[in-house]
Amino acid sequence: MRNVIVIVSICLLLSGCAATAGEQSPSTSSPASTASTAASRWVVSAGTTLKAAAVATSADIAPLAVGARVLVLENAGRWLKVQTAAGKSGWVFAGRLALTPPVAEAAASEGLLTDAARQSQIEVAQADSARSIRGLSAETENYARERGTPQEYRQALDRILARQVSQSEITAFKRAGKLGEYAQ
Amino acid sequence: MKMKRYFLLLCCLGIAVTANASWLDQLQELADPESKERQILSGTTQVLSSSKEIDYATERTIGEALALESMQRFGRPVDNESLQRYVNLVGAVVAQSSLRSTIPYRFTVLDSPVQNAFAAPGGVIFISKALLGILADEAELAAVLAHEIGHVAGKHALKSTRRAQFLQGVGTITAATSGSKGKEYQALIGDLQSTLFDQGLDKNMEFEADLAAMETSYRAGYNPLAMIRVLERLQKLEATSIKKGSWFSTHPPLQQRIARLKKEGYRYPDAASLAELPERFQEKRK
Repeated sequence: MRNVIVIVSICLLLSGCAATAGEQSPSTSSPASTASTAASRWVVSAGTTLKAAAVATSADIAPLAVGARVLVLENAGRWLKVQTAAGKSGWVFAGRLALTPPVAEAAASEGLLTDAARQSQIEVAQADSARSIRGLSAETENYARERGTPQEYRQALDRILARQVSQSEITAFKRAGKLGEYAQ
Repeated sequence: MKMKRYFLLLCCLGIAVTANASWLDQLQELADPESKERQILSGTTQVLSSSKEIDYATERTIGEALALESMQRFGRPVDNESLQRYVNLVGAVVAQSSLRSTIPYRFTVLDSPVQNAFAAPGGVIFISKALLGILADEAELAAVLAHEIGHVAGKHALKSTRRAQFLQGVGTITAATSGSKGKEYQALIGDLQSTLFDQGLDKNMEFEADLAAMETSYRAGYNPLAMIRVLERLQKLEATSIKKGSWFSTHPPLQQRIARLKKEGYRYPDAASLAELPERFQEKRK
């Protein structure tokens, strides 16, 4: 009889574990269910700053890097009062934060390129900020030549890549549309 | 007595196993050799290890080659600079709220009668004039672009092909695109084309991008339920639209996508108070 009790309790324990595992796995992938308990958020938008008050026009306290983790101190709807790892606290528009960390770009050392081209993302971003119509990269041009891609498509791609919008244009566009932190 | 004990043991094991039915379902789906999940899984374990190490410059170069092919297949960019800039601004707003906000995105309207939108690796994103034509407001455009950004953030295209592995042994992207490796590189681009334009990505990647679309457009300040409206409108048009190479042929059934998204609506209790901007959208689309 004692054996039966032992078996029953082991099995109950097992079923309990399985059930808990089953409940936990979806909640880690669903932001909403962790929202009530998780106090941590990650900065996802470039150009995010810690603000003195819960208004887009209030003074900047400190810049927050993409990927930085912050602790939520107070929730005022679409604005959150947070504390940074350095201990500074202030307000951030909730849309600039996510419940999961942003995508990590491949570290330079893991990359495929040689040393000269290692800092690929930084270089691409820098090249992009000064991009004008200037012809495609050597690699893309090479591909187009081997494939016999007509000139008009190469030029069309060049125009696409040159069509950049600046941060000030984006901000003006959000303001005009009363979007995100500019909502009234 | 012994029999009784075994019976008890069996019962308890039964409870233990059924306690996690969803886990069982997943297991069964994986055990079926015909399932797409299984095929993807056997591929991804190999592909993932290589694709996660592909640096951004390589990813972008692949995306540019794919962009050249996309235009030849679907059509040239629409010759309307004001519209192209507008679509880039909406795209930039949502991209900045996405989980991959630091890479440079480009958004382009292609002169195509097929209702479609797709993303080349690295952030070169296209939407057809036909799909733009059925949208009602800026929130719906934001949702479609955010869905595509979701694919870029998840690196879904590169995770879908085993051919990306050859890049591992090449050393530089310049070497990968020239000489004897050039043919392998072209085969990789060919593979990506058939994935994006003919077979479609894995259905779980599509659901992931749909959820990302709602989450990202919500963070940006748009009504996230616009994504459901787009899918419902497509569903109404499905019978009369061109299927080949469209969102109908390369994506999971609309009914399934709509049902999944509707279950998520509760996350956004303030959705109705967020931006939709029909006037700005219709003014720019003229």
